[in-house]
Amino acid sequence: MRKLKLINFTWWKISCSIILLSIFSVTAYAQSIALHGRIVDENGGPLPGATVRITGTTTATVTTANGDFTLNVPSNTKSITISFLGYVDQTKNITTGTGNLGTLTMVKTSRDISEVVVVGYGTQRREAVTGSVASISGDRMRDVPAPNISQAIQGRLPGVDISQTSTKPGATTQILIRGQRSLTASNDPLIVLDGIPFVGSIGDINPNDIKSIDILKDASATAIYGSRGANGVIILTTNRGQTGANAKISYNGYYGTQTLFSRYPMMNGPEFVALRKAAGLYTVNGTDEDNNVNTDWQKLFYRTGMVNSHDVGVSGGSQTGSYNFGGGYYRNQGLIPTQQYTRYAMRGSVDQSVGKYVKIGFTTNNNYTLNEGGQISVGSVLGFTPITNPYNTDGTLKRTVKMPADESFVLTKGVVNNLHDQWLNETRSYATYNSVYGEVKIPWVEGLKYRVNLGLDFIQGNDGNYTGVGVNSTTPTTSSTAGVGNRQTYHWALENLLTYDHTFAQKHNLNVVALYSAEQTKYNSSSMSAKDIPADAFQFYNLGAATGEITIGNGNYSLSGLSSYMGRVMYSYDNRYLLSATVRSDASSRLAPGYKWHTYPAVSVGWNVMNESFMKEITTIDNLKLRVGYGQTSNQAVNAYQTLGTLNSRQYNFGDNTYATGYYVSQLPNPKLGWEYSETWNYGLDFSVLNHRLSGTIEYYDTKTKDLLLSVGLPPTSGVGSYTANVGQTQNRGLEISLNGTIINNVNGWTWDLGVNVYANRNKLVALASGQTRDEGNGWFVGHNINSIFDYQYTGLWQQGDANMNILEPGGNVGMIKVLYTGGYDANGKPTRAIGAADRQIIDTDPKYQGGFNTRVAYKGFDFNVVGAFKSGGILISSLYGSGGYLNRLTGRGNNVNVDYWTPDNTGARYPKPGGIQSGDNPKYGSTLGYFDASYLKIRAMTLGYDLNRVLPKNFVARARLYFTVQNAFVLFSPYHKESGMDPETNSYGNENAAVPLSNAQRRFLTIGTNAPSTRNYLLGINMSF
Amino acid sequence: MGILSTGCKKILDETPRSTFTPEYFKTTQGVNGGLTAMYYHLRNIYGQAYYYNSGITGTDEATWGQSADGNFKDMDCSGVGSILSTSYPSSILWGEAFPNINTASGVIENASAAGVSSALIAEARFFRAFDYFLLVQTFGGVPLDLGAGELKFNTSPSRTSKRNTVPEVYTKAVFPDLLQAVNDLPATGRVTGGLTKTAARLILSKAYLTYAWWLENPNGIPTYPASNRTDPGGHDAAWYFQQAYDVAAAAIDDHGNFGLQPTFYDVNAGQNDRNNEMVLYADHTQTSEKYNGSSLTYGSGGAPDNFAGWMMTWNYTMLKSSGVNSVLREADQHLGRPWVRMAPTIEVLKNTFADKTNDSRYDGTFTSVYRGNWQKGGNAAATLINANGMAIAPGDAVLTFLNEDNPNVVYASGNAGINAGMLPGRSDFVISPGVINRIVYPGLWKLGVYRTDNGTGLGQPNAGSTRPFPIAKFSELYFIAAEAAVKGAAIKAGKSARELINVIRARAGKWRFDNNGNKAKVEDDSPAMIAATPATIDINYVLAERSREFYAEGGRWFDLVRTQKWAELAGTYTIGGINYTDHTPVTVTRTIDKHLYLRPIPQGQIDGLEMTTAEKTAYQNPGY
Repeated sequence: MRKLKLINFTWWKISCSIILLSIFSVTAYAQSIALHGRIVDENGGPLPGATVRITGTTTATVTTANGDFTLNVPSNTKSITISFLGYVDQTKNITTGTGNLGTLTMVKTSRDISEVVVVGYGTQRREAVTGSVASISGDRMRDVPAPNISQAIQGRLPGVDISQTSTKPGATTQILIRGQRSLTASNDPLIVLDGIPFVGSIGDINPNDIKSIDILKDASATAIYGSRGANGVIILTTNRGQTGANAKISYNGYYGTQTLFSRYPMMNGPEFVALRKAAGLYTVNGTDEDNNVNTDWQKLFYRTGMVNSHDVGVSGGSQTGSYNFGGGYYRNQGLIPTQQYTRYAMRGSVDQSVGKYVKIGFTTNNNYTLNEGGQISVGSVLGFTPITNPYNTDGTLKRTVKMPADESFVLTKGVVNNLHDQWLNETRSYATYNSVYGEVKIPWVEGLKYRVNLGLDFIQGNDGNYTGVGVNSTTPTTSSTAGVGNRQTYHWALENLLTYDHTFAQKHNLNVVALYSAEQTKYNSSSMSAKDIPADAFQFYNLGAATGEITIGNGNYSLSGLSSYMGRVMYSYDNRYLLSATVRSDASSRLAPGYKWHTYPAVSVGWNVMNESFMKEITTIDNLKLRVGYGQTSNQAVNAYQTLGTLNSRQYNFGDNTYATGYYVSQLPNPKLGWEYSETWNYGLDFSVLNHRLSGTIEYYDTKTKDLLLSVGLPPTSGVGSYTANVGQTQNRGLEISLNGTIINNVNGWTWDLGVNVYANRNKLVALASGQTRDEGNGWFVGHNINSIFDYQYTGLWQQGDANMNILEPGGNVGMIKVLYTGGYDANGKPTRAIGAADRQIIDTDPKYQGGFNTRVAYKGFDFNVVGAFKSGGILISSLYGSGGYLNRLTGRGNNVNVDYWTPDNTGARYPKPGGIQSGDNPKYGSTLGYFDASYLKIRAMTLGYDLNRVLPKNFVARARLYFTVQNAFVLFSPYHKESGMDPETNSYGNENAAVPLSNAQRRFLTIGTNAPSTRNYLLGINMSF
Repeated sequence: MGILSTGCKKILDETPRSTFTPEYFKTTQGVNGGLTAMYYHLRNIYGQAYYYNSGITGTDEATWGQSADGNFKDMDCSGVGSILSTSYPSSILWGEAFPNINTASGVIENASAAGVSSALIAEARFFRAFDYFLLVQTFGGVPLDLGAGELKFNTSPSRTSKRNTVPEVYTKAVFPDLLQAVNDLPATGRVTGGLTKTAARLILSKAYLTYAWWLENPNGIPTYPASNRTDPGGHDAAWYFQQAYDVAAAAIDDHGNFGLQPTFYDVNAGQNDRNNEMVLYADHTQTSEKYNGSSLTYGSGGAPDNFAGWMMTWNYTMLKSSGVNSVLREADQHLGRPWVRMAPTIEVLKNTFADKTNDSRYDGTFTSVYRGNWQKGGNAAATLINANGMAIAPGDAVLTFLNEDNPNVVYASGNAGINAGMLPGRSDFVISPGVINRIVYPGLWKLGVYRTDNGTGLGQPNAGSTRPFPIAKFSELYFIAAEAAVKGAAIKAGKSARELINVIRARAGKWRFDNNGNKAKVEDDSPAMIAATPATIDINYVLAERSREFYAEGGRWFDLVRTQKWAELAGTYTIGGINYTDHTPVTVTRTIDKHLYLRPIPQGQIDGLEMTTAEKTAYQNPGY
């Protein structure tokens, strides 16, 4: 330990100075012959960026945009090697005296063989991988232009379930890899950026900087990340320069408009008048209402959005080093007035060899984001009745409008825009993620290498909000309020790696890695708010000047650390028998003393059947590999200090002028808090057939998660509400299939590729605390999905003459919702009781299966890409139609979603009689109206691209591709879309975007609520490099 | 560089810097903070509308209103729902009391070591006894051992529990703590609203009274867990009635700064909050949102909001004059935020408050006149056309609930938009007390919102009330002593049951302001009030008088359960239906089985226990 530290310290100093030196260093060398030529692909198109190298040396160059190269070589040079990702390396012998090598055609390799997979603390050829790893290259990911990485890969990798959690500009997603394991701890996968565990938001990373994404799914692959591997690992690798390459400048940009995908399906004037009449509850219109008015509040509210992205990069290299720098700008203006997201990103990486044995480098990813207008919501706008007239007789807008029982602040695009300086909410954040490495080849042991990685990250967020006097309040004198918040995260990680990679006797390939690492994350936040800001111009910039109450919020501080040892052996014999074995030990500060350490074993084996001699005869199969793996991984996503117990504070007043703060025990200490861990078995089959035209992977997995970190509700008689403990078990089992095929391979210039992935995950809760089989409060039921709904089951509507209505629904009315009765019947066949709480059902919400597809058709310079996603089964919760949104009250109090409701003349309707029996403000059992079949098929993006070099002069220096994309193009087979016309993708967490949202405990249910409306985007973009 | 030298061991250590651990209770500041938390816990019970509802709905004071959800209908015991172990309203106290009891035990245990005065420790003792008293009345016997031994501070996750019997709870917890508190608490609170000797005496006398009734058990109501109706100390019911009388009488005599307000109106008027009649209350303030604990502009409808007053407020904003909303939602004690969850019964208006002219308490309890305030909402109209085509100005009555039924009232759907009635010659719409329904009824003035920051506008009617919620008033001592006297306690000179009740009735006859008439009214109807007092006071009369004095403050269920009069006094009621047009009273019968005299142990408690099914079943009160 102590020695290692010393080395690290020295390394840091050396690295820093060398990096600086290398940037300015110039290398010169002797030259004799200038070789030149042109490298083309199988279609004769130029291959820019291919590496041309003197065989066996580091002397190399890179082809230009036209595929041309010139390489100065010593006169005794025997051959050159040309390599390009996705193509077979080609070696060309040099005949003395020949300068011009002419046109050299490269041969494409099949994806599955050539691909190099990042497996964490190293890379592996796809052929040798024994764990479950799904990969996508940056270029393929960018087939879907998207604001962030997670949206770009949504639906494209089997077992990676990415769900939209918000439609606001800049929003990120929920990523679940192979289902949900934890009940209250996090289910987020670990993200590793350029080798360093990433503590920021995935939205911080510019998708244009990504070279490849590798997702480790099973425990045999993720066990190298031990305590953080249970939820899967997403490894992001950013672009780096290539040694020997000429400087290359690239520009990628697009501009697009965002249009409304669909309006929220509210009633128009006449529809609403009919509803109010049918309900018969609000027989007298409100002051500002008139049955002849037909106001489209949404039309008055939305604007056309805009999305705009520009990236510039430069990369290149010398003979011994390379660099890559880039900057990006992204802006998305949403449909909701003043809502927008802006990101400025800057990155750089440098790699430099020093002598024969040393290599150093660094990577830096920086960004500044600005998120504005999050406080503006469409929710209240939807509730305005369409017969409300927002205008005074003189054509000016009213400040508020009165409906029969409600008065509302008028919200239109104009109002919000005009209030921009009096009503704002913004979050500014700056994040910088940096890593430095040094690598030494140990000279006297071939294949032995020492590497140190140091990651240093800093994230800062500042929030500011201001609401002027009376803004968005029916009371014009409501005090102005302003608030600021600050957050900082500091993170460092240090990794010491010893790698030994060697092939013995040509058949025994051995790769050994040993790691010691440590990291620490510190977080603190503070906030303040104030009332009665003396002037609008102050906004939130001087809370001290407020004349009203100034409140200092509770600060938050946490410091947590992780210390780890890891060892891994990857061995293959003759490329036939593959073995990977890992042991990792992790200790976390968050857990109780004596329970901090846990050791994670993992082992996986593979068999490349096609490399056996007895398979040589079979020519239709090109590749066949069987894999099986087992591993243990953990989840330490419990907050710091949970083992110590907590006092909560409460503020109280004694009279109007004496204030005091009180404390009470809110959480008991748990001196035994340990790891939650998962055990996974994974079985895989990789194949490719028909001369690599069709390839695929089939995997089956079974994950059991034990000792769940769970906040256990104690009986109130213990005096304390809860404590965090290791209780309960969950299970996820699933099947994943991905297929990639080339249907037409360059026939008359036509090429057609198709990729499909399908996966099914079966999630269930196996055990809860202390033998409990149900926890109704939290909605957890043993034997069911973690996300199961506990509610009545809609079976239709009560009709005139239906038997037993008076017994089952005393006080009910014809046309009300009928729910399942589970009680008994007496001798006369009469129900023995009324419908009640005992009739609630457990309803599983997970889909049966889901997946995605992508297809690419190319002809000459044109290419057409379609990326789609689908889902079958499961429950979609829409708070618009359920009772939480207050938009389907069917009373006529406020506007209603446009539903087919029961009337004596329309008894076949799905929705109940307006004005019938209610529970609270909604129809009785109204929540059951919000559950829909979640199935859909969706075309996420369609792109038509054209290679501009086809029309540009042959010797034009730049490469350029122009494309036009439609995002969120259309939806098929969706019952929810059929009902509402809306996008069937969720847009909110359960506890958001509804008048009465679900409880905090039910936040995990993703719902459709009144978030920013979904958009359909039209983008025009260009990719250029020269 | 510094981070690199951080040792491996050190990385794994933890020091919280923004939260406290339970160790903090071992310091003086921790003890003080623990006490403040106990005062705060009152807010989670008193003013919490669902708890409030559980003490009133289903009694002779109220039934469910038009917008009621199951939380209200369940408590009504009238076939529209049932009280179950999963019912929320009956679980609130259970969830709030035990954590507070534990905090109190922590303070009591650690305070001496931290060098805290006995007067402060007495506050913790008071709160522990107060909670145990509430629990034992509501659920029967409850556990005294939370996991660390009887009345000990528990800091371990305990998932088993054993209920003590009712006599154990009284004699081991309630009485000893309160006796100590009476001894150690100051006559004047250390802070505004702080605990006093008088507060301790009031609760102690009430606990004696309740326990005496329990020992007597006149109507054979079962108890649980099973226990003989004998006192471990060997005393009988009569002895405890006498204790109740003596302690209450001592509190009246040794009253310190406490006393009765000159008029009933003064007791409940917002501008007179925290007056000397208020012995215990859950405080709130409009001066600080942070310390008020809830928003000053928009209440969410959950603790610690004081939102009880919304429940019996009907939606008066539907009232129209000239087709315009004439009574707007205002942060005014007569108005406030309408939730229409609870309603008074016709019997309340016609029997409980039969005398509306001499007795100022009807006028000081209800909003019976709704006055136009349209100008505060920006409507500049000087007058609007109201009933009989007559003009009214701002401040004039739009709707009046009549004191007596009047057969000449004609109801019509167009009237005021709510199917109100008209009487010839009157510019206000009217409704007779005998035809109220679940959607239109006199509102509850006494708990109404009162703010001083409305300016000339409507203020913030959607915030929770920033007024303190009353828990115990000095006047209750008279009722406790009177009830004990009725039950045979030997009386002191001038303090017979009739004399005590007459102190209250005489005060009720004193007027200085006509609340609903909105004008000064200096009048003394005390002689008429005293003259109307029956010669012999029986328990029913004490209860009726209690209801007049403390109507809809939340304690009615306890009174009816203590005296075992619930089924007798609240078995039926009448009220109209849920539509504006429902002006025909309907008689509703309640089914008040004896098992309902104990509330169910909340399901959350039972689910949280690690015990056998048989043990869990035995933990629940019978009948649930």
